[in-house]
Amino acid sequence: MVPIVAGIDIGNSTTEVALGKVENGQVEFLSSSLYQTTGLKGTTQNVRGVKMALGLALEKIGFGREDFSKIDVICINEAAPVIGDVAMENISETIVTESTMIGHNPSTPGGVGVGKGRTVHINDLLDVERGSPVIVVIPSNWDYEAASEAINSAIEKGISVEGAICQGDDGVLIANRISKVMPIVDEVMSIEKVPLGMFACVEVAPPGRVIEVLSNPYGIATIFSLSPEETKHVVPVARALIGNRSAVVIKTPSGEVKERRIPAGELYIDGASGRRTVNVESGAEAIMKALVESQPIKNIFGQPGTNVGGMMERVRRTMSNLTGLPVSDIHIKDLLAVDTLVPQKVVGGIAGEFSQEHGVALAVMVETEKLPMSQLAEAISQETGVRVMIGGVEAEMAVRGALTTPGTKKPLAILDLGAGSTDASLMKENGDIDLIHLAGAGNMVNTIIASELGIESMELAESIKRYPLCKVESPFHIRQEDGRVRFFDNPLSPNLFGKNALVVEDDILMPLELDIPVERIREIRRRAKREVFVANSMRALERVSPAGNVRLLDYVVLVGGSALDFEIPSMITDALSRFGVVAGQGNIRGTEGPRNAVATGLVLGFASKGLPVK
Amino acid sequence: MVSLNEEVIRKVIAEVLAEMVPSSETGKKAESASVPKAASSMKLVEKGEAEKSSDPRDVAIGISPGFGVGFNETIVGTPHSEVLRQLMAGIEEEGLKPRVVRVSHTCDVAFIGKKAAELSGSGIGIGVLSRGTTVIHQKDLSPLQNLELFPQSPLLDPETFRAIGRNAAKYAKGESPVPVPTKNDPMARPRYQGLAALLHNKEMRFVDPKKGPVEIEVAFDR
Repeated sequence: MVPIVAGIDIGNSTTEVALGKVENGQVEFLSSSLYQTTGLKGTTQNVRGVKMALGLALEKIGFGREDFSKIDVICINEAAPVIGDVAMENISETIVTESTMIGHNPSTPGGVGVGKGRTVHINDLLDVERGSPVIVVIPSNWDYEAASEAINSAIEKGISVEGAICQGDDGVLIANRISKVMPIVDEVMSIEKVPLGMFACVEVAPPGRVIEVLSNPYGIATIFSLSPEETKHVVPVARALIGNRSAVVIKTPSGEVKERRIPAGELYIDGASGRRTVNVESGAEAIMKALVESQPIKNIFGQPGTNVGGMMERVRRTMSNLTGLPVSDIHIKDLLAVDTLVPQKVVGGIAGEFSQEHGVALAVMVETEKLPMSQLAEAISQETGVRVMIGGVEAEMAVRGALTTPGTKKPLAILDLGAGSTDASLMKENGDIDLIHLAGAGNMVNTIIASELGIESMELAESIKRYPLCKVESPFHIRQEDGRVRFFDNPLSPNLFGKNALVVEDDILMPLELDIPVERIREIRRRAKREVFVANSMRALERVSPAGNVRLLDYVVLVGGSALDFEIPSMITDALSRFGVVAGQGNIRGTEGPRNAVATGLVLGFASKGLPVK
Repeated sequence: MVSLNEEVIRKVIAEVLAEMVPSSETGKKAESASVPKAASSMKLVEKGEAEKSSDPRDVAIGISPGFGVGFNETIVGTPHSEVLRQLMAGIEEEGLKPRVVRVSHTCDVAFIGKKAAELSGSGIGIGVLSRGTTVIHQKDLSPLQNLELFPQSPLLDPETFRAIGRNAAKYAKGESPVPVPTKNDPMARPRYQGLAALLHNKEMRFVDPKKGPVEIEVAFDR
């Protein structure tokens, strides 16, 4: 009877199994499988996931799901004692006081041009004296027909109506019914907040163009005859209106628009050269610079009472619960900061305006000596009745597995792109292994995508990360994100019509309820991946490569869940090719793709040791 | 059971009687109020057989056989003139051209919507029944599919009709609008089902299986 060995790799998000027959140090692989990791890795909660994954592997070779007795030995790895967490911090906000501007982007403003005058309620329009220009304010209880008639009769009376601000979505309707071309900004939600009797300017650009007068500080200065000092104060107004098709600016005695930095707390980085303090609101670049200067890092803290501080403590506490070590013994060893733009509602805005505010996404990683693997091994053994061995360090096993990729040889570096952390290890020619864990991986990409697109659901963000986009242009064809058109023989589901969708599989499309152009979503997705994975790959390889020089590496194999992504591997291959490094998605055993490296390595490791089975 | 039926029948009789009285009086009242509202009535003039348009800006509204003829208002009393005016306004606001056709061969909202979509230059059509049930359709979908369906006629108010017109126009422009938020009232069914059935029977009387779709010119009175 040839013994059957199961290698099991419990990762942050997936549990992978490789089943193999071991004879005279030779391994014949039978099957492999993967299942979602249950609970935090390294805890006895993992047993359920392990049993499922084992069952699936057994099923593939014709046994029952519960036939654990067919397996002679289970090898689990010494899981990397690493967990990570991500958080978002907003570091700027825009505040409008006294309703000085309306800067939202209604999809259909009416008319075109620039109009200026004093704001007047439509109820009082006919009482305005002739000759003084007015901007009429129309609440939504005025029907568009009635409003148009009122404006027309005012114009007939000789009142110079120069523009309109209306609450309902009536801009085009009114523009089509009045006798004069004027700019009309509509869908202004809180129209009651528009100050009356104030000097205002309304601008609507022709279709396909953006406003030019109100987005220029000197344009505003010309209209309101501002002094050079006053002009300085309108710069934020002009900036907030850049890129809009329509806008209103109202001159009030002390109203203004300002961009405020939100104090997001300080980070304290303890490194070789002592403690460095960096403000989160100074942005990702400053944080990463401080981090590089502090290498090697001993510990990182966040200012108590801030979000950053809270996140750091949460990670420490999770790890402390897991290992039983006191919180004070748990050290945050790495951090990755990425600048993001977050759509935020403008404070004090009257049309529900959003502005793109700055944010910083942070990922941190804690590392301890060891995870309590022996407890887990015992639990697995009890549940399955199979002897369990804890064999080898994760990195060593991963390299061993990665070396089964055709076309590789020692010295070999692997990049393990996971969900919680990015790990790099380098096996030198003599078999020594250098290893590094870095914060920031798949979960951080999700966080960035979710915050930049303004979506709540992390599952949706995960799907957007994972699948290419398309636009459904008719029931029979889609335009893919690369611009190519694909036709379908059978009509697509009506809930896809006109929508942006994700191409989940060849014929399976998932509609996206996001009113954001495909190009923009794609850009956000690709930038998030590049800033996390490409940046982290470089960071990681620099730390393991001889003399910190990436050029001295020959082969880099990408493994792990995120190496399955449809574009991350090529982004990294591209970035590394500039250093003359052969980098690519691994293909474990020539069949498994970038998955199953550690599980395969475990079985191979068992075989090479030639340990007795029974 | 008997009392319910009686009550419903009474209601319908009251409705039919109300229809016979010209509604101009109520219209005048509305106009004299401080904030003038909708037009109160409209004229629907038949302009001969409706043909398929080739103008991509055109969004067709298919009205049911009895719309504005045998009925003047929806199941909850929204005037048909207001329904049509709001649908058309929603389309116009988006920069497209509303067009009205009467579909006489059926009073099934799905088929009316589908027919309107087929006649429409943009391929997008709206089907609307006298009692208010509405659908947004696309020419390539099968009749019982739809882009958006508003099956609970008692819950449709003028703002919803405006939003339906707007969304239809957005589909025609190739945009992906957020579906019109539909209300849901679990009591609407028990409360209105009997009435809806009677209104359906009434609408059936205007169905002419041999009559093709007819182009309609709408003139709103103010």
